[in-house]
Amino acid sequence: MSIPAYILETGNAVASLELISEVEQRLYREARMLDDENYKEWTAMMTEDIHYFMPGIETRYRKDRTDQLNDTSRMAFYNDNLEEIGKRLLRLETGTAWSEDPATRYCHIISNIEVETTDNPEEYLVYSNFLVYRNRLERDEDTLIGSRKDIWRREDGVLKLAKRRIVLKQNVLISKNMNVYF
Amino acid sequence: MPIHNINGPRPDYSRYMDIDKGWIDRRIFAEQSIYEQELYQIFARCWLFLAHDSQIPNPGDFITTHMGEDNVIIVRQKDNSVKAFLNSCPHRGNKVCFADAGNARQFVCNYHGWSFDNEGSLKGMHEEYCYDEGDIDKSEWGLKPVAQIDSYKGLIFATFDETAPSLETYLGDFRWYLDALLDNEEGGTEFVGGTIKSMIGANWKFGVENFIGDAYHAGWTHNSGCRAMNNGEPFPPVDMQNSYHASVNGHGWEFGMEGVGDIFLLGRPKVMEYYDRIRPQMEKRLGAVRSKIFGSVASASIFPNVSFLPGIHTFRTWNPKGPFELELKTWVIVNKEMAEEIKDDITKGVMCTFGPGGAFEMDDGENWENCTSVNRGVVTRQEKLHYACGINRKIDQPDMPGIVYRGQYNDSNQRLFYQRWADMMNAPTWDDVPNRYQSRLNGRSTRDIPTMKKV
Repeated sequence: MSIPAYILETGNAVASLELISEVEQRLYREARMLDDENYKEWTAMMTEDIHYFMPGIETRYRKDRTDQLNDTSRMAFYNDNLEEIGKRLLRLETGTAWSEDPATRYCHIISNIEVETTDNPEEYLVYSNFLVYRNRLERDEDTLIGSRKDIWRREDGVLKLAKRRIVLKQNVLISKNMNVYF
Repeated sequence: MPIHNINGPRPDYSRYMDIDKGWIDRRIFAEQSIYEQELYQIFARCWLFLAHDSQIPNPGDFITTHMGEDNVIIVRQKDNSVKAFLNSCPHRGNKVCFADAGNARQFVCNYHGWSFDNEGSLKGMHEEYCYDEGDIDKSEWGLKPVAQIDSYKGLIFATFDETAPSLETYLGDFRWYLDALLDNEEGGTEFVGGTIKSMIGANWKFGVENFIGDAYHAGWTHNSGCRAMNNGEPFPPVDMQNSYHASVNGHGWEFGMEGVGDIFLLGRPKVMEYYDRIRPQMEKRLGAVRSKIFGSVASASIFPNVSFLPGIHTFRTWNPKGPFELELKTWVIVNKEMAEEIKDDITKGVMCTFGPGGAFEMDDGENWENCTSVNRGVVTRQEKLHYACGINRKIDQPDMPGIVYRGQYNDSNQRLFYQRWADMMNAPTWDDVPNRYQSRLNGRSTRDIPTMKKV
């Protein structure tokens, strides 16, 4: 079993209104980059050492102690570093990503944003929820809803995404693929 | 007890195809009545994959899955054997287990509190005093077990049909090929933790036939995935002289002989190094031919609905959910002896390439959905589909069992899959199911004869 430290981290104090506003604007901008398929800008918002993690979740009884949300040695939709995210995104630039042409229509809605300080003065713990709607061709549509736990780090004055754990609130992915980012 | 088929006399399903000319009638992908017949004739009779041994290592460990549309619980017993039974209370039919996996001493129905031990026996009921003497014989009202359960090198299979041949006979000479995946290193295989499931709006057979023989689609469908994962390089051309389709009664494996293609597509240099290192032992263990089959650009399916990619380490079932929908269940299969670092690397590689988020697989679902949905049109549905690629390339290959065709780009495994499909759909009993190949193993162990000799 292997659990990254940031997932277990708990924040110290609620951040200032100014900081909360700054983080919110970063999250909304990030969502707009994803809606626009502007993946170059999106990945530019990440740190070099990003961990982008979305575990697969089995349905298990409450008493079951399997650490499904945190153990990165189990199956996951995403368990990526920057290079791996980059490779996935390269697919869209080849001109032969058939299941993305005609283009998919995306809308990322971000809410329930909380910002907390951490022991590292340059890093903030950020919680949020997402609703991602995608629709393509005639009436092919998915609504993907879940929660995120992030670490945002200030580098050269700019907030960058350093860690993200995404928990989709589905057991069976009710969709034919996961060609979508959160 | 045979499974009672309420649909009455069966039509001749061979009329939905011509294997010698190479076409398939699209109605087998669309008609509800044909789908219902598949559940009875194929899924209620064939050996179906339930679990890997490693998913339920300890007594009381269970997983739930589907055999056809029947939900079943698979439980490790105290004596280390495995039992499987319907996940349905015999009182009013409610499920008795609602988890995908876990550990349990008993299964209790939420409706009236009937409880069953993990052998499936009825142990007690809530407020049992309401039953008078003679109302119920508890020994007769347990969870219904499968008719037969057995395993092959870590893979647990079961059938609802007590008249089905043994698992060994059912897999037949395909075991010789399966060993290239399951027995290429001391210690065998295991599944990585977790299961990823997704829904595809496609007929279940499109997934199976893609993996059983459709190397042809890879270079086109997966051009983007291949170039993304491999520094802009498209799929290399296949060697049509030295690549093959092999079919054993509807099971099929298509493969090259270069030994590295699928491992390369995984995109993990450490994993490639690992296999380079164990290749000499693999050759001693499996013989020269199979040690080249493993790792090559290859894909395979076990009839009716299991598929895997040997060097890419994805393993899956295509579970039927009506003619127009399937549930895909995927796992990652690794060798037990591998260091954790290699297992983690493979798991990351599989998730980047195959499974719903994989750069390769994400272009498959949409193809199969549209191959399926067009047949909602009653005119389209009556058109044939072309399956004649390589129809004259059958060869007698002394060192490979099964029915072998030359050239990896070929429809032969697909044709023979549909022939088996029609055989199962037509046959009233297992005695009526024709054997379509000549066995070379003839009951011998696959380990004893790494190299096949001509019969």
